[in-house]
Parts: sequence; structure tokens; C-alpha cells
Amino acid sequence: MPFDTKRIRGPEESQSPLLFLSPAKVPESSSREGVRGNGDVRPVFARCGLISQAKGSAYLEAGNTKIICSVYGPKEIERKDETDMKTGRLVCDFRLAPFSCLKRGAWIQGSEERDLSAALLESLQPGVCLHKYPRSQIEVNVMVLENDGSILAHAVTCASMALADGGIEMYDVVLGCALRQNGESCLVDPSYTEECGNWQAGYGENQGCVTLALLPNLNQVSGLTAEGDMREDTLTDAVRTCMDGCNKLYPVYQQALIRAVKKKAPPPEK
Amino acid sequence: MAAVHLSEAEKVYIIHGVRDDLRLDGRGCEDYRHMEIETDVVSNTDGSAKISLGHTDVLVGIKAEIGKPKPLVPNEGYLEFFVDCSANATPEFEGRGGEDLGVELSNTLYKVFNNRLSVDLRSLCISPGEHCWVLYVDVLLLQCDGNLFDAMSIAIKAALFNTRISKVQLSENEEGGKEIELSDDPYDCMRLDVENVPCIVTLCKIGHRHVVDATLQEKACSVASVLISVTHRGTVTCVRKMGKGSLDPESIFEMTEAGKRVGKSLHAPLMRLLQEEESLGQKRQKVGFLG
Repeated sequence: MPFDTKRIRGPEESQSPLLFLSPAKVPESSSREGVRGNGDVRPVFARCGLISQAKGSAYLEAGNTKIICSVYGPKEIERKDETDMKTGRLVCDFRLAPFSCLKRGAWIQGSEERDLSAALLESLQPGVCLHKYPRSQIEVNVMVLENDGSILAHAVTCASMALADGGIEMYDVVLGCALRQNGESCLVDPSYTEECGNWQAGYGENQGCVTLALLPNLNQVSGLTAEGDMREDTLTDAVRTCMDGCNKLYPVYQQALIRAVKKKAPPPEK
Repeated sequence: MAAVHLSEAEKVYIIHGVRDDLRLDGRGCEDYRHMEIETDVVSNTDGSAKISLGHTDVLVGIKAEIGKPKPLVPNEGYLEFFVDCSANATPEFEGRGGEDLGVELSNTLYKVFNNRLSVDLRSLCISPGEHCWVLYVDVLLLQCDGNLFDAMSIAIKAALFNTRISKVQLSENEEGGKEIELSDDPYDCMRLDVENVPCIVTLCKIGHRHVVDATLQEKACSVASVLISVTHRGTVTCVRKMGKGSLDPESIFEMTEAGKRVGKSLHAPLMRLLQEEESLGQKRQKVGFLG
């Protein structure tokens, strides 16, 4: 294609102007904008059954993080080659909408999303009674509409609510909680700025992010991912704090599920 | 992933053995298999290492190239990881068969190195915002017999130790533009500080206990494992629960503690070994791939 050689061409790769903000603009993570304490989770809004075609679906909002999830199946397994047929198969697809993050993403699933899909699958699998669904697969699709931190944790919760809404047999719901360790202080359910905040600039000690998935009734941990650079005792404390965070939110999700069941099968009126 | 099929009786045999702190090959629960490491095995790389851990063979090659720093961190270089599951290891990896495992392994490596202390990325910067060194870390799995993660991380540490990056100098030409000048002396190179590079320890939960460095047979008996990457100071850079089972919180605490203990004790002998090997210099007898 001929082009005008006199014209100054822009860079081949475009960048968001927000990347060039001065680092001083990044908010102090200890203040938490004065809205909530370091150990507090953001208020959540959760509803089931909003996608009519899906077997089960759920929508979850925590602060500005918005996640939608739908469950299809159980249906016949597509690839019959590998897995044994005695148990069912759970397939997870985790996607971030291109406009969900600060930086525009691609529609094609990137390696980050594949990694999140794998983490989601590992967290959900222990909670689902897959042996009840031989020769079949259950599909879980998660779409993040807006990313304001702790997406994996909330995606786990949202997906397990969608599974429950779809009537898939489960041992327990799976709840997720994330934590951002910053030196000696830890922030539960971090927002996006807190998540990456001054970690980007800092060489401090004890920095890291932890995401935990919990089966609250069985008191079993079904998923755990952590990165950063933390001492081992900090890590164990972080795991305990995350478990508390999960338990704090449990009644909210219980209410949402009861509401969904009542809507689907209204109690007989006398 | 390469897997073996075990009968129920075989599984019970392994689980009972682990309960009594005795494994199939006579190891205790926190022992590694025999490990052999050789560095500088591929001449075209800037740093390379080969490790064999039992029957697991991993080859790591590191190439340094000049690239552009990421806009968020203009004064740092970066590392790129790629794991290739060769069809040599198992026929299942043929074609795109090993892709999922390869992506999983490389994503884990990004997480393990996703902190500011593992490798001093600022030393990889040539001129802020313009040029930096990009280290391409390519991992090749030659043989799989369980515990790929641990073997891979140890091989990467050895390869990073072995890496020599040529020194470059920036000079300005008459028009004010910058030029990169490569040093004429091929031995004039920069070394990386690998003191803080973490090693991964994978602990497999078998019965009520956990084992380190599980073979494929042992892995088949375990439903959940925990991966921990530990630095020589005992700090943890990455944790991940893997497998389709769930774990009791108490056992997670036990496993992280054991992982820290095992990981910490891994570093000192490894560094000593690497320094010893290097001090031999040209006299060192190369073992290569048939050793």
C-alpha cells in the first residue's frame, strides 16, 4: 500500500495515555479512600438466573468489579479421546471483555485468560459432584465486564452460584476471596489500583497477592494462588484472613441463592 | 500430561508406604531423587543448563536480545518464558498435544518471577525507555517422570547463573542520535545475580501426608498438590494449589512450612555445586546428553 512518506507516522503499537501518568497519582493503599477498613470486603450485589437460555447463570458486582457467568450442560462430551468416562468433565472459559481493563485487551483469549481459566477450573472442580454426570460435560463461561480488582476470587463465587442456579449437584458452594499484602498491612478484596498500586514501583518487602477459594461448609480450601514475595508466616496469616473474608460474604450469597430458588419454584400459597 | 495408570491395589501399596515414611524407591517423604546438573551445554545460547532428576530431563537455554522496555517500567528489562513439551518425552505431546501443559508451565514461571527481587531487572536496562535486554528463557522437556516444575526451576536457576550477557555501551553520534556499541572482547560480559532466584517445590498430598518430588506413580495417587516457590531467604514468591481435589486448611499450612524448609535447603548446595563446576573452567569434562 503506498503511503505518504512526508507524513510522520504514529507508533505501530498504540498505548493508552493512562500509562504515562506520573507515579505520584497512584493512591496510597493504606488510606482505602476512607470508605472501608483494611479487613473489610466491598459490598456485593449478586443475582441468579438472568440469562434465560443458559441452564444456570449469575451476575455479581463487588464495587466496580462486574462479572457475569453462565452454565450450560450437562451435555454429551465433545472430545471422547482422553478422559475416563466414569466422571463428568467441567470446562471453564474465563474471558475479560476488551474494554474491561484500563488497557484495551484483545478478543482472542490471551495467556492470562487461559491461566485464569485453569485456576477457575481447579477451584470449582472439588465442589462439583462430577461422578453424578458420567459421559457428560458441564460448561462454565465467565465474562468479566469490568475489572476493578479481585476478579478471580469473584469469578469463582459467581461461577459456583451459576452452577447452583443450574441445578448442578455440588458438595458445597465455592467462595473466593482475594488479598493484597503490602508490607505488614493487608488489604482484603483489593480494587484494581490497590492490586497493582505501588507494587509496580516498589521494591519493598512482603509484597504479594493471594487468592483463595473455600468450600465454607466442609472447611476445605479448593483453590489457592499467591504471587509476590512474602514470608511464610505472612502467607499463612493471609490464608486465614482470606478464609474469614469468604465466611463474611457467605450469608449474602446464601440469600441470593434462596431468592433464586423461590423465584424458580414459588412456595405453595395457602 | 503424561500419566500412568495404576490399579487400586498398587495405589493402596503406595499410600500405605507413604504413611510409614517409605516410598517405592526407598526415599523418605521429603527427599529428592538423584539430581544431575550440567551448565553450558549448548554453545549457541548465552546460558544453558541441563538437569536430570530421576528420569525427568529438562534442558534450558537462555538467549539475550535487545528490545524495548515496557512502558510501565521504562528502566527495567524483562524475562520471557517459553516451555516446549517435546514429543520425545511422550507421544501425547506430538503436534499440539503438549501445548496446554506448556502454557501452564510457562504461566507458572511468569508468576514465580513476578516480583522485583528474583532477578535484578534494572541491571538489564541499557537506556531507559529505549533499549533493554530481554532474556528469552526457553525450556525443553526431554523426558517426563513427574515433578516437572521443580526440575524446571532448578534448571532455570542454573542457566541464569551460567548466562553471560555481552557488555554494550551507548555513544552519541554527530547528529545526536544514540548508538549501541558492542564490546570487542567476547569475554567482557555481565553476569546476573542469581542469589534470589527461587526454586519451586511441589508437594503432593498422598493419604494424610505429603511427599516432595513425586514420581508419576505417586502423582497418580494424589488428588491435590501445592506448588511453592521459595527463595534462599525462605520467602515465598508463588503458591498454587493444583489438581482436582481440595485441601484442609491445616494441611496447607503444614505443606507451606515443609515447602519452605525443603526449598531453603535446596539453594545452598545448588549454588555451591554451580560455583564448583565453574571453577573447573576449561578442564571440566563435559558429560552432555548421554551421561
